[in-house]
Parts: sequence; structure tokens; C-alpha cells
Amino acid sequence: MDVAATNPLLDGLRIEPTPEPTVLVIFGASGDLTNRKLLPALYQLARGQRLPAQFKVLGVARTDWTDDAFRAHFHDSLKQFAGLAQPDDVSTALASDLFYVGGEMDDPALYSRIAAKISEPGWPDGVLFYFAIPPSVYGDVVKRLSEAGLVKPRTPAGWRRVIVEKPFGTDLKTARDLNAVLHQHLDEPQIFRIDHYLGKETVQNLLVFRFANGMFEPVWNRRYIDHVQITAAETVGVERRAGYYEGAGALRDMVQNHLMQVLTLVAMEPPIRFSAENVRDRKLDALLSIQPLVPQNGENGGAHNVVRAQYTAGWVNGKEVPGYRQEDGVSPTSVTETFVALRLQLDSWRWAGVPFFLRTGKRLPKRTTEIAIQFRRPPLHIFKRVSPTPIAPNLLIVNVQPDEGISLRFEAKLPGSRMQLAPVMMNFRYGSAFGKPVPEAYETLLLDALLGDPTLFARHDFVENSWALITPVHQMWEASGLESIPTYEAGEWGPPEADHLIQADGRRWRTL
Amino acid sequence: MTSPDMTLLPNGREVPFADIEATLARLARDGRRRKGGPARALTATVVVVGEHDRLIDAADALAHLSEAEGVRAILISEGGETTPTARVTEHAIGIAGLAPKFLNNAVAALRLSSLPTAVWWRGGAPESLQEIAHLADRLIIDVLDPSSAWSIVDTIVEQSAVTDLRWTRLTRWRSVIAHLFDLPEVRSVPVTRLSIAGADPFAARLFAGWLRSALHWGTDVTIDLRPSGSSDQRAPLDSVELDADGHHVSIARRATRGCLRAEIAGRDASTRVVPLGEGTLTAVIGEELGVRTRDLAFERALAAALEIPAWQ
Repeated sequence: MDVAATNPLLDGLRIEPTPEPTVLVIFGASGDLTNRKLLPALYQLARGQRLPAQFKVLGVARTDWTDDAFRAHFHDSLKQFAGLAQPDDVSTALASDLFYVGGEMDDPALYSRIAAKISEPGWPDGVLFYFAIPPSVYGDVVKRLSEAGLVKPRTPAGWRRVIVEKPFGTDLKTARDLNAVLHQHLDEPQIFRIDHYLGKETVQNLLVFRFANGMFEPVWNRRYIDHVQITAAETVGVERRAGYYEGAGALRDMVQNHLMQVLTLVAMEPPIRFSAENVRDRKLDALLSIQPLVPQNGENGGAHNVVRAQYTAGWVNGKEVPGYRQEDGVSPTSVTETFVALRLQLDSWRWAGVPFFLRTGKRLPKRTTEIAIQFRRPPLHIFKRVSPTPIAPNLLIVNVQPDEGISLRFEAKLPGSRMQLAPVMMNFRYGSAFGKPVPEAYETLLLDALLGDPTLFARHDFVENSWALITPVHQMWEASGLESIPTYEAGEWGPPEADHLIQADGRRWRTL
Repeated sequence: MTSPDMTLLPNGREVPFADIEATLARLARDGRRRKGGPARALTATVVVVGEHDRLIDAADALAHLSEAEGVRAILISEGGETTPTARVTEHAIGIAGLAPKFLNNAVAALRLSSLPTAVWWRGGAPESLQEIAHLADRLIIDVLDPSSAWSIVDTIVEQSAVTDLRWTRLTRWRSVIAHLFDLPEVRSVPVTRLSIAGADPFAARLFAGWLRSALHWGTDVTIDLRPSGSSDQRAPLDSVELDADGHHVSIARRATRGCLRAEIAGRDASTRVVPLGEGTLTAVIGEELGVRTRDLAFERALAAALEIPAWQ
């Protein structure tokens, strides 16, 4: 047996295989994302022994730091966001593999310094670039990386990958432009477009739930399902992101990426095997089956399918909060939507006639993300005479956050001599069933990128087709020239118009 | 006589065997009322068999686990009782002094149907071990001297996935070496000598057996096992060293820090420090219960370990 070809000691080892030797180059190393998410995720991966045997991190940013300053920043980040009051052996060892190069992103000399650093003896030739920088500079950074010869490995065993943070464009045109720039210098398999929703355990579990159980898939279609509701509710306002959010709004910020990913996992056909391309192909099929939100021949067609709104002053999480237009950095005449509700129709054999309702917003009463599959009622209510209470339809709820799990609602007989019915819930919760901490999405996704597994990352065609669906809505809104949009009081579940949207279909939003 | 603080499940209710299920249902209902919230999903039955004293700390470990996971714990000590009473808590059942020939019947009656059953073997007659394997999806050997249990593993593995809790404790050690062997330049050089120092001779043999079976060593690789220092719960070994042409790989436990330091000396020198993990009985058995499948690497390691002489 050729012991040298593969690592025989991994056979049967419960700790998963670790990635090949890697240099992680983080652009935006002094930024908020690196501080809050990436550095804590790296530490947790090190604790779980998931980092490569040879691993270096090269931080890149404009901030004038030394290696030691970056390492001190790393320890501060762990203190603040990983609950590590004092450096431990693991963080100390990992810190010694942290290095830093400072400079302006548009300065060619910066890339020469990066090239010199990662070519030093002992530095691996597998390089993962992480773009934790504004999307407006992605194209320029990729171009300069390419010009410096950094997107091609030095050795046959080497590799180069790039993780790109959302947003991937702001509409169809910019998304296409961005993909075109990336594809000028990189092949699609080298590009990992991160959507942290896909790193959530419950979202991944959707595939297992649907395709590793024999009992759900047969009823997962128009014959048994009445409609689907996907809700992503936040209690926070725009916080420090007003500059970005003013130009984005809820439709761009949440629907085009996160909710479309979730929707397609719910709606996709079974892939023939669990491989990145098969899963992503089936998701794309589901996306392509969604009917245009704004019919090309109907002037106000979109009004039936989309509702937008903006929060006004109200009361959330036990305190009074200002309205959106009163937030720091927000225009007092802003018509940016902080809430959006949509009605989607999928034109496929599986889903014809089954509406998918999506809603997402800021300053809603509670923070929760869930997928609710509502089944059709039984064709005949045989208990009507003895139990006049209407039968509640069966409901399957996938809790994405914060309490990850799955619940099933069904009818049961109330104890007693009378035949009375009442809905009951059967609950599965990740937190209590397995007793293990659920990994942070960034840990999962960073590790997948290190391993070169793109399953949980967005492909270029998915991104573009998602924009193709959303962009006409923005164009319709812009064309309307409205100076105000519907409002909802902070701490309420959106505007009345959102209720009307779903009620027009004979349904109603779940009370969460 | 058992002292009061050594009573198995001292907070449990004493009930006849026939009333166990009804009592569990009542306690679960009361628990839900007290704590609020819905019923939890159950995931497994864990049967612990052993002498009374060894069941006490197992009960403690499983109490923590049952709080975190949906586990039903059944603790049984062997004795001469044919009509035993049981002590029952919300998550656990304790039966003291049950006649070994009825062990099977008790487990068959009390295990959760349709969910995996793990048997945590902390002592008892080898015949009972063989019998109970029929009811177990997974058998976890956890005895100080596993010689007799190990000797019958090959007759059990077709019925039940078998492991030894030592194997779980060695996971971090194994993964550290495997990590270093990810480097092609390390695994391409033939090993000439393996030295293992530790307090548990069976753990040392198992580890050596694993390397021998996984790396297909012949008799040309010298294996040197020697007792050293004191082991704590988290680490059955103190150090492992591999000599190869141009490389020296060493892994040593950092006694005070709960970490392993792995080092490659020579060409391509490299160092890694990794945590040993929590290492408590709760954590180790919790990790083991997360495994549901047959562990062929363990079986091969054990077969090889049985051919390696223990230190004197």
C-alpha cells in the first residue's frame, strides 16, 4: 500500500480531515467583520483542531500595524467576541502564525509586499484570499492580485481561492459586471461567494431533513402543501450600517441573497447525489422556476406581489426606539424600505399553485428566522358535529434562528369524554437533542473554503438570476417616484399592506 | 453495606420494577410543569453495567448528559436479586444487585424502542457482556483491566459496534499525529521506532496497535512501551515519539495546561499546540455516544494491540 499517497491515519478518525497547508490572506484585517467573526472563527477552528498542519494568516489593511499589533488585535477580538478573557495555549500558538502587511488597496507596492511575504520559505502554496472589504473595491483588488501573479499557484500542488462577501452587486447589471471582472482573473471554482445563512446548521439540515427521510419528500409538493412562509425578523435597526443600508434596503440586504437561498433549499428537486454542483444545479432550477414579481405586461402587477414599508418610532426589546428617518446617517426623506413582504409563485410541477410568502424587516417584535410549511387541511372534517373547533392545518416549522430546530404541529384529541380537538406541537431542538454547541456559520463556511468545498457558497448564475428577479422590483419602485412608502411602528409585524398581501390569497401570516 | 451518600440515584423514587415506566412518565410530566416548555426529543438509551461504586460516577456523568441530551440512563449492578426494586429519576433508572442472568430481560424491557442503545460496560461477568451485546447498538468497554473483554470483542463486533473508552480518550492524540501526517514529507519517510510513555499500559498498547495497523508496520519497527509519571483523566499517555529517517516526531502532554504539544524536528520542522479537550467522564462518554457506527479502525487497532506485549 502506498502510505505516502494518502494519509492512512485519518481513516476512522472522528475528527474530520483538516485542510491542506494554507495561507489565509485577509483583506480588511482591521475591519469589523474580521474582528467580530473571522478571528473568533479561526480560534474556534484551532480549538477544534480543524486548521491545517501548516497554517499562516496574513492580515492586509490600510491601518498602520505591525505583526505584533495584529496579534494584539487578535487577542482583543477573542476577548470581546469569543469570551476568552486571557490568551490560552491555543490562541497563543495561533497568534504566532499571524502576520500583517499594511497599505492602500490601490497601491501596486502592497501586492508586491504580499507576494514577497507569502513566498517566504515555509509558507504553503495554498492561498485563500478573504475579501472583508467593501464590494466597490473587489474588482480592483482582484485585478491587482492578478497583475502581481498572486492568483496563480507557484507549484503544481498549490491553489488559490477567493472568498467574496455580500453584496454581490446591487442589481443585475452590477452583479454581472462584478462576475465578469472576477472571471477575467479567476475561474469560477476559485470563487467562494459567502452567504452566512448557508452556514447555519438548520439551513444545511433542510437537505438532510428532506432527502435523508422517506416520509417527508412524498408530501413535499402541491398536493399536500398549501403554502410556505419564510420569515426573517430582526429587532435591531440600521445600527452603524446606515451608509450601506440607505442604498440597499431590505430587498437587497436580505431577500436577494439569504431568503432566496433558503427558499431554493425548500423548493429544489432532489439532487442525484450530495455534491456541490448537483445541489447548486437543483437550487438554480428552483430559482429559475420563480415567476417574475413584476409582470412585463402589467403596469401594477408588482403591487400584488410585493409590499415595502419603513419603520417609524416605536418600542422594541423593552425600550423606545426612533423611526428609520430619525436614525443617524439616514436621510429624513428616505424611502428606503426596512420591511418587505413578497408573494412568489414557482412554475413547476411540484409547486404550481403553491404560493411562497416571504417577509423580512428591521425593528420587528422579535428576532427570529423560520420556514413554515403549511399543509392542506383534511378534505373532510368528520369531527365537525362533535368538535366545532376548526381543524388547524398541519404545520412544519424549521427554526433557523435563534432556537434552531424543527417542530411539527398536528391535531390531537383533548383528554375527556367529549371528542374535542386541539393542535399540539412535536419539537426537535438542536440545542437539547444533541447537547452540543452549534458551530457559528463563519466557522463552517471558512472551513469549507479552506477544504475547497463550494456546496454552501453561491454560484455566479444563482446570484445573477436572483438579481434578475429582484431588479425589476427596484426599477418599478424607482419609476413610481413616491416620496413616502407605507410605514409600520417599530415593534409591530410590518404594515397592514403586508397583511392584505397574504389575505388576498386567503391566508394569513403566522403569529410569531 | 452501602453508605447513604453512595446510594445509586439517591434522589430517585424507589419503585417496583413493574412501575418504572409509569413513574418515569409521571416524573417527566412533573418536570415539564416545573421547568415549563415542551417535551424534549429523545435520542438514545444508555445502559451502564458495573460494580456499585463504578456506577456512582457513571450516574453523575449521565445526569449531566441527560440534562443536555435526550438520553435515558439505565444503571445496573450485578448481584443475586431476582425481584429487584429500582430507583427512578426523571432521566435515569437504577437497579442494584440484579442477578446477571436477568440483565438481558431488564434491558429489553426498559430500553427506548426504535432508538439506539449503548451499553457502557464498567465491569461484570464476561458472559453477561456477550449476552447483552445482542441488545446493544454500541458497546463501550470501560474497565481498568480490559483483557477479558478485549479477548471476546471479535465475537461481538458483528452484533454490536464495539469500542473502548480509552480509544475515545486517545482521539486527540491520534488526531495530532494524523495532523502531522497530512504533510506528505512526513508520511513518506518510513518510521523505525515508536516510543510511548504513559500510566495506562492498555492505552499505550492500543495506540501502538493503531499505528502498527494503520501504517502497516512489520516487525522492523521497534515498539517501546514504558510506564511513566501519573496519568490524569484527560490523558492516558504522557508522550509519543516516532523516529524516522530525517524526522523526529514527538507529542507530549503539557501537564498543567491541558494541551498537547506536537513537534516535528529535522527537515520541515513544525510545531502545533492543541487542547486535549475537557476530558471529564461526562465529556468523554458524551463524545462516544455521538458515534453510532462500527469503528473498523478501533477493531484493527485492537487486533494489533493484542499482539503487542504489555510492559512488565
